[in-house]
Amino acid sequence: MSRRKRMMEDLDQDIRDHLERETEDNIERGMSPEEAHYAALRKFGNVTRIKEETREVWSFVWLEQLLQDVRFGLRMLRKSPGFTLVAVITLALGIGANTAIFSMVNSVLLRPLAYREAQQLYLVREIIPELSQTYPTLPANLPNFRVWQRECHSFDEVAIVTSLDMTLTGHGESEQVAGGLASANLFDVLGIVPQLGRTFLPQEDTPGKDHAVMLTNSFWRDRFQGDPKMLGRSITLDGKPFQVVGILPASFRFPKGAQFGALTEFHPRTDYFKPLGLDPKQFSPLGEFDYAAIARLKPGTSAAQALAELNVIQARIAKEAKQGVGLRAEIIPLESEVVGPTRRGLLLLLGGVGAVLLIVCLNLANLLLVRVPARVREAGIRTALGASRARLARQLLTESALLAILGGVFGIGLAYFGLHWLVAVAPPNLPRLDEVHVDARVLWFTVLLTMLTGILFGALPAWRVAHAEPQQALKAGAVTITEGRPARRLRESLIGFEVGVGILLLIVAGLLTTSMFHLLGVDKGFTAEHALVVDVSLPPQSYTKPEQKEESYNNVLARVRALPGVSYAGWISRPPLEGQEQVDAINVPGRSTKDLQAPIANYRYMSPGYFQSMGIALRQGRLIEQVDRDRHVAVISESIAKNVWPGENPLGKQFHPGSDDRPLMQVIGVVADIRTVALDEPPLLMVYLPARMASQNYASLVVRSTIVPASLGAAVRGAIRSVDSGVPIRHLRPMTEIVSESVGVRRFQMGLASLFAIFALLLAALGIYGVVGYSVARRRQELGIRMALGAQGSDLRNLVLLQGMSPVVVGWAAGVIAALAAGGLIRGLLFGVSAQDPLTIAGVTFVVLVTVALACYIPARRAMKVDPMVALRYE
Amino acid sequence: MSTKELRERIELLQGTLDLLILRTLLLGPAHGHAIAKAIEFKSDDVLQVEQGSLYPALHRLIKRRWISVQEGTSENNRRAKFYRLTARGRRQLEVETSKWDKLAGAIARILRPAEQGGES
Repeated sequence: MSRRKRMMEDLDQDIRDHLERETEDNIERGMSPEEAHYAALRKFGNVTRIKEETREVWSFVWLEQLLQDVRFGLRMLRKSPGFTLVAVITLALGIGANTAIFSMVNSVLLRPLAYREAQQLYLVREIIPELSQTYPTLPANLPNFRVWQRECHSFDEVAIVTSLDMTLTGHGESEQVAGGLASANLFDVLGIVPQLGRTFLPQEDTPGKDHAVMLTNSFWRDRFQGDPKMLGRSITLDGKPFQVVGILPASFRFPKGAQFGALTEFHPRTDYFKPLGLDPKQFSPLGEFDYAAIARLKPGTSAAQALAELNVIQARIAKEAKQGVGLRAEIIPLESEVVGPTRRGLLLLLGGVGAVLLIVCLNLANLLLVRVPARVREAGIRTALGASRARLARQLLTESALLAILGGVFGIGLAYFGLHWLVAVAPPNLPRLDEVHVDARVLWFTVLLTMLTGILFGALPAWRVAHAEPQQALKAGAVTITEGRPARRLRESLIGFEVGVGILLLIVAGLLTTSMFHLLGVDKGFTAEHALVVDVSLPPQSYTKPEQKEESYNNVLARVRALPGVSYAGWISRPPLEGQEQVDAINVPGRSTKDLQAPIANYRYMSPGYFQSMGIALRQGRLIEQVDRDRHVAVISESIAKNVWPGENPLGKQFHPGSDDRPLMQVIGVVADIRTVALDEPPLLMVYLPARMASQNYASLVVRSTIVPASLGAAVRGAIRSVDSGVPIRHLRPMTEIVSESVGVRRFQMGLASLFAIFALLLAALGIYGVVGYSVARRRQELGIRMALGAQGSDLRNLVLLQGMSPVVVGWAAGVIAALAAGGLIRGLLFGVSAQDPLTIAGVTFVVLVTVALACYIPARRAMKVDPMVALRYE
Repeated sequence: MSTKELRERIELLQGTLDLLILRTLLLGPAHGHAIAKAIEFKSDDVLQVEQGSLYPALHRLIKRRWISVQEGTSENNRRAKFYRLTARGRRQLEVETSKWDKLAGAIARILRPAEQGGES
């Protein structure tokens, strides 16, 4: 550095010498001393720039200039705190929101599942073509799984798992625990190494040798305080001892709900796994499709090859079963099944939040462009003093980069809190929610995004300043520099673009909101309001006989019905929107259809009072009453009546619930169809049977009340406890909550999309307000002259309004066209509304026009109040 | 003259100016003004170097150690800084000259292929 300093001092001397010599030469040639001096200077060129260039030779120029630019930039930002504040806040919100949403996308969609080489894992589903109308694919069944294990060479290994609830006793209060019934090789297939102990041994899959369990890490920690001595000990499940053979690592993730395919429901939290302990010979190859089958593909084998091989095996199984139905298979990458339909929604949100950031950028570009004339003067002076155009552009880009970095830093902070909030408000059935966190990829994304943002909003203004003619800027002197037509056009098109993107977002959000209303307004077939649902399970070791269960169920009903505020109460084996259960054929005697070609229905066991308490309307015949408890009678849903006995009176008709050996049931009533699985899925066929209620260990008590259902909670709980304090109560919640949870993912998407859209609208309004306001301030003189020449205040206001609104109209049209064109992309996320819904578009247009008109009107009113004398005095 | 033209010319001269300086110093040490004069004179004023641009070039050459700088006294007993070709600079001059010859020859052949025989 000192060498550089010396060299630079020498340079000053050198240049002075040089100029002196040149001046002397010029004087010799006969010029006057003054003339000679200026001629020498002219010939030498710009001294400052020459020095600058020489200094560059001796320094880490870019670094030094960067520091200089940063210092200067910070000074400029401090000088206009209002602008800086708006810029940093909007950028922080934009970048923060993008980072948070990207974290979710990254964790849910991009990061591989937490299993070894997860891309090799596939879910195997079975297809019975004759059933594919109602059930396109089915989970796997046990005997077929054994056949695949033996014969399918495309798989390294296959494992199956299904959910299994048991009651844990002997550790304080008895507790309902949720587990998985898994083939012994499940953890080998997933590539999970236990934290303590071992995984299951192959022989533990056989009946009688299956008294082993592996505990999940959270269950082990919560229930057994993470005691390592638990290993090898026995715990009591359903009254039987099970030896703890292994503890799973904390990093182990297991899906919840139907993430391992439809018809396989897992609990939100899995506590333990137990080996199968089942004999495949006891199962039919074409029944009991209950298992999620997970296969690890052999390296180098394609999914198509595996499927082809599997289908050959399936065809053979079907032929040997002689049921007259076909059997095929489907294999789906496990990852895409787990993530499922969430992918599209998340990508939509990512697009939406990206659009918000785009609007932030456009807005800032516009605000910077407004400042261009002022900067052109400054740039002109600096050019005259020897700054190069590239240097000027770099200086301005440094300023915008500084803003972006400030925004990025605050944005990451916001993202951190935002992500916590997102995870907290996200519906619990959003897949992989527990894996959401900020990792290196997210941070890189943010850094890149920040840089990109800075360039995006800074480039245009920087280019305009750097390419302005400095002479013109200087010539204009103290007089306000007027903005040319092209500059105005540019800013107006930015506004138009902004409005277009905003409209697009608003339309999408509007469509999602409309869908939500349609969904909640759909005829559910039951009445969620004023219904309370209490899930209980009778511990099997103390309830061994049906009579005991029956008595308990009846006693609870009697006590609950006696509570003040309760109008009805009834038991049901599974309430609506809680998944499918007991899916079996409706087998009408005398019809030649085989088992699997008969209509398939969901069977529910219930007590009298259920229909009234769930608010399911009777259509025909009568409801189930106390006298029916031991009779072979059934109530069916309307769809069954229509499908199975079209044009006939269903009352008095008979059918087997499943195979021929089951007793015949007689139809005594028809009730309304209900949304069984989800509000957006059409009703399934439902059969309600009173007869086997007493065989159930798990049931839900539904209570209809005249008061707010939640306020009944404690009383109902007390009533159940007074019958048997050993009965675990799993859940107690209003039916409305179940409904609301079932649309949680949609609500989440809708909420965020609306948030982004509103933010976008406000930003666009802010941008328009800024631009129109600026143009009014700049045109004071012109407006003053117009007024002096006789224009009315209202004329001026309308003039400003018109000019302010014209880019908005163009942007609106472009946004609507884009929304119409992009409709196909979001159709899958909508319900009961077309992607081109004119009502939504009209509504959004109205909201935008009002907002924008307001943003224009405020500055336009100022135009009305221009005092011509004051305005003209400036001249 | 607009800024843009000026910039293009500087770019055009970069490197070439270095070569001219080295060539001039081959005749012996000289101060800045003398180098500028020499280049103008020898090129019959065709190469109108903006004199100032000489200095960044000189410093570049010093940094590369192709020339060195010394205090000295000029013809009329004035103190001045004298630039002198170093051994490295001499070698570099040869390299640069032969490179230049090749380039100039190649460009000449491309621009006037018909007169190739007549020229020489």
